[in-house]
Amino acid sequence: MQNNLEIKRTIFHEKKGINNESWKCYLLISPQIIGLFVFSLYPILWAARYSFFYYDGVSVNTRFTGVENYITLFAKDITYWKTWITTLKFALLKLPVELFIAMLLALLISKKTIKFSGFFRSVYFLPHIISVAIVTLIFCNLFEPFGYINTLLIKLGIIRQPIEFLKSVSGGLMMIIVTDIWMNFGVNVLYFVAALQNISNDVYEAASLDGCGKVREFFSITLPLIAPVVQIICLLAIKGVLGTGVLVYLLTGGAPGGNTHTVNSYILGKFVPGFAQGIPNLGYGSAMCIITSVITAAISLIYLRLSQKASDLY
Amino acid sequence: MQNRKTKNILSDLIIYVILLIFTVFALFPVIYVLGGAFKTNSEILTKPELIFSTKPTFNNFIKAWNADNFNVERMILNSIWYTFASVAISLLTSSLAGYTFARGKFKLKKTLFAVFTSLMFINVGSITIYPQFEVLNAFHLNKGLAALLVMQFFGIGIANIYLVRNYVKTLSEAIDESARIDGCGFIGIFFKIIAPLLKPLFATLGILAFQASWNDYLMPTIFTLTVPKQRTLIVGIMALKSSGEGATNWNLMFAASSLALLPVLAAYTFANRYFVTGLANGAVKG
Repeated sequence: MQNNLEIKRTIFHEKKGINNESWKCYLLISPQIIGLFVFSLYPILWAARYSFFYYDGVSVNTRFTGVENYITLFAKDITYWKTWITTLKFALLKLPVELFIAMLLALLISKKTIKFSGFFRSVYFLPHIISVAIVTLIFCNLFEPFGYINTLLIKLGIIRQPIEFLKSVSGGLMMIIVTDIWMNFGVNVLYFVAALQNISNDVYEAASLDGCGKVREFFSITLPLIAPVVQIICLLAIKGVLGTGVLVYLLTGGAPGGNTHTVNSYILGKFVPGFAQGIPNLGYGSAMCIITSVITAAISLIYLRLSQKASDLY
Repeated sequence: MQNRKTKNILSDLIIYVILLIFTVFALFPVIYVLGGAFKTNSEILTKPELIFSTKPTFNNFIKAWNADNFNVERMILNSIWYTFASVAISLLTSSLAGYTFARGKFKLKKTLFAVFTSLMFINVGSITIYPQFEVLNAFHLNKGLAALLVMQFFGIGIANIYLVRNYVKTLSEAIDESARIDGCGFIGIFFKIIAPLLKPLFATLGILAFQASWNDYLMPTIFTLTVPKQRTLIVGIMALKSSGEGATNWNLMFAASSLALLPVLAAYTFANRYFVTGLANGAVKG
């Protein structure tokens, strides 16, 4: 019966549907198809091509330079590789703190006896909906030499002289990390809470009957059960950190002396119109962008491999 | 037993304290900027510890609204029309595409869907703005928010397409078949049958698109470089900050930032659940 209906349906479609209607399908997704070629594939090919050229926007100056851009990038551009080190430093300092805070808060919120858990979740997520531009404006003000944070620290007697955050690399990095954690920790709280909700209560009850303590419970039950989700949460967080550009650019602008630029804020300040000074060599920019995206993808892949191995151990 | 109970209450109390500390952490910067909007510039600079002014003033808003070099009124109007257009474009293109990938029967369906999805992982970065400008230039659309909207129209919002596609797939095909028998075509079915059913999803997609375009900074900045009159509120505030007058105008920037914050905060307060539903969506995009 079911089969019969299926057959009837397909015959019906063949008669009336497919032949004269597939053009309508293409019509409805034509914006995306055009966009695919014009605004996605063409720019990628453009960047790939110009990465072998010197090109500063003036066609007369354009000349083929072979792999020179790549050689310069790998062999001579110390500044670029320094921004990678900064990016990794930022990632290694920020991610553990942020994920620890988020996991802790998620565990506390998920406790059965805690009320207003919805309220806490919403409040923690709130910073994430604010424009990154406004966020950096607020934090720039808070971190000023005579701003709120310095005043508070002096009043509490923790420091005597105001800290000039933008005058030292560690100060600049601290600004970036605090601001970024503020903006993003709530997202991870939501993810972790969602993951924790999927664990059945029976497991915990069984554990407590066996006399399992809270810490033991977390490491032997909770963590293994949510491990697959944690793996994805970490992947998203890593992707986010490696992609951070605008926030850093607007907060520190690389200060002091370009030493707190992450890869993406460096590229932004060097090649993007309105941020770059003068007319940069776009051929070199293309090479830099391509290598950057390759490295970013490679880091994500390596992470996936390693975390797969780690989860196989369980 | 009694002992255990007090222990439980005590541990809950500690938990509440921790949760409240982070509540303050999350809310403080927002409250600080809203409070700062009512302080004079010298109060902001010399008394940062004062969150709310002892003599709150509306002057910052009045001044910002009327300033020549920092015309908040025009910037807000720009933000409003840009946001509306952007939301409309996003809803239209992603729902049409989502519907087509759910119900359409055409040869390249699987291929195109796979290609669109994989584009999410291929990202060459900011340099692509130059070839994109080149294309827009060829159509004499190289500046202004309109050009940016054109590019958005041709954008592939794969996360939204996924949401619509999955939603449409849950709707029974029996309805479209009966409409088809009544003489409705593939496109007619979308507008008469499917689109009305998508309303709950439109709320989520619309709010996310609203938040994204109202908050957008990078692209509107690039596209309004040569036409500063079209700056949106966010772009204008940051332009003032990076100009030499930034430091002397914290009061104006705080007032304007508060105006930029209010619509988003209001939307979040009243439509909180849509933001959270869309989170998975945002994650895919991010």
